[in-house]
Amino acid sequence: MKIFDPRHETLGPEELEQLQLERLQALISRLRRNVPRYRKSLGSVRVPTPADLSNVPPTSPEDLGAAFPYGMFALPLREVMRLYSTIGPGGMQLVVGHTRNDLAHWGRLAARQLVAAGGTEHDVIQIGFGGGASGQALGFMLGAEQIEASVIPQDAYRPEYQLAMMQSYRASILITTPTQAQELAAILDRRGIDPQSLQLRSVLLTRPVPDTVREELKTGLFSQVHCSFGVGEVLDPGLCVECEEGRFHVNEDEFVVEIVNGELLVTTLLREAMPLLRYRTRIQCDMERVRCPCGRTGAVLRPLGRLDGRLRVNEMPLYRNQIEALLAQTRAKGHPFLLDISEREVRISIMVTAELFPDTVRMMQGLKTEIESAFLEQLGVRAAVEYLGPRDYEQREKNDQSKAFPGGW
Amino acid sequence: MLRVRNLHCGYGSLRVIRGVSFHVAPGETVALVGANGSGKTTTLNAVAGLLAPWEGEIRIAGRDTTRQPAWKNVFNSAVLVPEGRQIFGDMTVSENLEIGGFRNPGRDVVIEDVYERFPRLRERSHQLAGTLSGGEQQMLAIGRALVAKPKLLLLDEPSMGLAPLLVRRVFKAIEELKQDGVTVFLVEQNAVAALEIADRGYVLETGEIVVEGEASDLLHNPEVKRAYLGKGYKEVWE
Repeated sequence: MKIFDPRHETLGPEELEQLQLERLQALISRLRRNVPRYRKSLGSVRVPTPADLSNVPPTSPEDLGAAFPYGMFALPLREVMRLYSTIGPGGMQLVVGHTRNDLAHWGRLAARQLVAAGGTEHDVIQIGFGGGASGQALGFMLGAEQIEASVIPQDAYRPEYQLAMMQSYRASILITTPTQAQELAAILDRRGIDPQSLQLRSVLLTRPVPDTVREELKTGLFSQVHCSFGVGEVLDPGLCVECEEGRFHVNEDEFVVEIVNGELLVTTLLREAMPLLRYRTRIQCDMERVRCPCGRTGAVLRPLGRLDGRLRVNEMPLYRNQIEALLAQTRAKGHPFLLDISEREVRISIMVTAELFPDTVRMMQGLKTEIESAFLEQLGVRAAVEYLGPRDYEQREKNDQSKAFPGGW
Repeated sequence: MLRVRNLHCGYGSLRVIRGVSFHVAPGETVALVGANGSGKTTTLNAVAGLLAPWEGEIRIAGRDTTRQPAWKNVFNSAVLVPEGRQIFGDMTVSENLEIGGFRNPGRDVVIEDVYERFPRLRERSHQLAGTLSGGEQQMLAIGRALVAKPKLLLLDEPSMGLAPLLVRRVFKAIEELKQDGVTVFLVEQNAVAALEIADRGYVLETGEIVVEGEASDLLHNPEVKRAYLGKGYKEVWE
């Protein structure tokens, strides 16, 4: 498989160290000059080698939240060309800004992933996302422009429509979420369409999936399956490149990664609008340096899970406290409830007690509709409400304690 | 070819350069740009060995040259074209070129190359160097450095005091050096002209590098404008 930017993706250790040192020092002097929060936290600390980065205080998502929206920007807004919302721990809103150069770099980094997934200028790339991945869609679009492929951008997600597009335009690369890829495979299966009749060469998923899912999609869509791994507040896609060996190589010419107590910390080396210094991603990761047959020299990350209890429902990031806060706004407030959170929806079981629900069936139906539409409107997630009598409720509660929630990136 | 790490230096008790790191790979043209007084020439003088660094490490072609005097650097094939040309005004053009190659036994061949490169110098080879125009003097200064067969050419403000048309001609000459495989480290106040011919660039501001990157990226970098206009951003929503 080809490498998009061999000069930067296969840097030797000495070259990389020099490059990271230069970029780190420039980053630190820029932050000290332009961002009051960093000026305060940095003090007089110096970084004579990249290893000395560990003396620099880390930046947490809460710091970004406290400075929301523009307190972490290193440039005035007139230099910023794009603003993206992203979700931090507890569902707090965060923003990422990009300058013209930031967008250009994003395109080049995303192009590295596309080329590693087999993309060339001859490909027709279909980007089919819905839900919480619209920021990623733009990253892939910029990348596809870099490699001069033909792109079919899509907004709302409708699997049938997506399939029709794939058939008529003969898309050779599909970029989509794992859930939607699975749905597509299910449609093919249901309608008895031979996946080989599609021209798909490669499917690029928006997040890492277990090997079982990968294998299932490989057969279901008759195509290679690649995954992308990024961090919304840092860059997604673009932090890593998944090579043909299935390893996530960090783009170390643009990011310094550290693992501290199992948590992934990322420093952006070239970001202009909103650089991050030792950003605590709340993602649990392993890191190793291996000699990889693909030729890339970037450190290899193995994402293990979230450290902040982030859930993923229908590809939307979600936190339990968001669900609780939403329920507290409805008439269900104060009533005991149980959550059963699956990859596709949130099932809410509310206990019916004599004093809480003296009303008619119509009232209960009304509350159910109220909750379900509030979920869709405010969190973008499907919910299903059911009512349980006290005995059933206790039984369910006991069963649930052993259940694990789906993790998300 | 050139690698500098954590360079600190200055004059007397005045610290001008505060922890600067940069590198130039073989065959690359790299520009160090910045406003007046940002420390560009000081950095270059430290690299050339004209100024002893207080701290840090300088390596040229893999050899540690940190506290090495300038004359030794010539033997490492790093040659400086100083600010304001500093040619020998009351010597002829050809004598100036010969001095450049005093330790190069094959200098006659190289001088011939220089004449090929800058035909104007051949026309004026017997003229006193002081009577040349500014642009011709700059060509002579570069030519004199080339006669020493440098692996690394250090250029200090080649555009200084030249009319815009001559600036373009001098930079064209530098660009041609790149095509011939000469490694060039260029210190320049005229950022746009320098970044147009460079592969990469560094922006120096009050003794610290604030941006490193591909020259084409730097041309669009807000920090470059800032370093030049010397204008601080007080508020992000200004």
